[in-house]
Amino acid sequence: MSTRSLPPSVISTLPGGYYTDEGVFASEQARIFESMWFCVVRSSDLGKPGAFRTVQVGRESVLVTRARNGSIRAFLNVCRHRGARICTEESGEVKRAFQCPYHAWTYDLEGKLIAAPNLTKMPDIDRVEFGLVNVHVREWLGYVWVCLADEPPSFEADVTGEVVTRLGDGDLIKNYDIENLEVGRRIVYDVKANWKLIIENFMECYHCATIHPELTEVLPEFADGYAAQSFVGHGAEFGEEIQGFTVDGSEGVDRIQGVSEDQDRRYYAITIKPQVFINLVPDHVIIHRMFPLAADRTIVECDWLFRKDVVEGGKDLGPSVELFHRVNVQDFDACERCQPAMNSRAYAGGGVLVPSEHHIGAFHDWVLEKLG
Amino acid sequence: MIPACPLAALPRGEAYRLDVEPPIALFHTEDGEIYAIDDTCTHQDASLADGWLEGCEVECPLHASRFDLRTGRVDAPPAKLPVRTHRVVVEDGTVYVVPSEEPPNLPPGIRAGTA
Repeated sequence: MSTRSLPPSVISTLPGGYYTDEGVFASEQARIFESMWFCVVRSSDLGKPGAFRTVQVGRESVLVTRARNGSIRAFLNVCRHRGARICTEESGEVKRAFQCPYHAWTYDLEGKLIAAPNLTKMPDIDRVEFGLVNVHVREWLGYVWVCLADEPPSFEADVTGEVVTRLGDGDLIKNYDIENLEVGRRIVYDVKANWKLIIENFMECYHCATIHPELTEVLPEFADGYAAQSFVGHGAEFGEEIQGFTVDGSEGVDRIQGVSEDQDRRYYAITIKPQVFINLVPDHVIIHRMFPLAADRTIVECDWLFRKDVVEGGKDLGPSVELFHRVNVQDFDACERCQPAMNSRAYAGGGVLVPSEHHIGAFHDWVLEKLG
Repeated sequence: MIPACPLAALPRGEAYRLDVEPPIALFHTEDGEIYAIDDTCTHQDASLADGWLEGCEVECPLHASRFDLRTGRVDAPPAKLPVRTHRVVVEDGTVYVVPSEEPPNLPPGIRAGTA
């Protein structure tokens, strides 16, 4: 870290190289993305046995599917024979088994090797031992979380615990019934920026009055620059004239039944390190999942979740989706504006965090601790 | 007549591979019939007992050719030749097979002894 002396109002960011260096990114892949719980797909994306998705987690391609008994399974997407990628599509459906397109080694939906040319001539090949390599799976909030570590960290401490830390109570999020909401809209953003820039951006609101005119109209306190995430349990309140969390402040859709009076007309944001953002408003929930692919490239999948009856009833979700879609585009443009400068001499020692951004320093400390 | 397995070891929907030369696959269909055919697909050395039983057909687990358990006929390439069928006898809770005396249609690698 930089040893430069700074005036007391500001603290240093990470040096620019942390956002561009391939070695740093490789360490992050190993020590963060492949070691922590990582949210990969919405459970409902895997509608029936054999439906699958492939996702990038750290350096690994992971194959996520639903087995015959309805449970979710996840495997490293690598044939145990000669290492060919089993599935190259991002999503799809197999009838009964995954088959390597190279020599036709064939695995059932639980990963067990069930057939291969000449397999009966090799009775010493244990079909489980030579099955696909399983990774740990949890389901929470209607999402599938995987962990590639041999011994996964505590899900309660690392994942659900972040929600408790932010909201001050683990039960408040249950009011939104997130696992039973339905995806009303999904937008995938290909962002040419380091994943940490995206997290840092999400954690602060110093930029809100400048780049988020629509959001600041709905949540006037955002103009102060203090992020909703700065204070435990605080949700940013809608402006007086605002009827709903929509692009023009017009009325939204039907409120999620369990949302309490205290939570009504408020916006809550939660960061679950290293790659999930949860945004709670009375009538919908917005969840971002990041997939860091390179030091300067991150795919962000964003889901807008509404009550089932709202989605099935064909209500116009446009004004609700448009608000945060604009916020996303505004934020990701800003991150892409920073990324090329991370290599600049001007940023070699990093930049600074103003008081309303000082809590980002804790994120930087966390990254440095993870990288050892 | 060769004893294959106890009837109890072959529930409906399941298969049993009898390790004779060449191996024989027994299938107990959902309808309760028991059939025996050559276990080895005629296209490549794959065990049909590891395949997918649907009605009176089994689909090879490797390349999806389907064999009729009653006639041994194959529906579509890559396999082109039929498998042999074998007579099945169930007596006192044991499943027996009477192997066919026809020459088998083994895949090229097996015929050449290279597999």
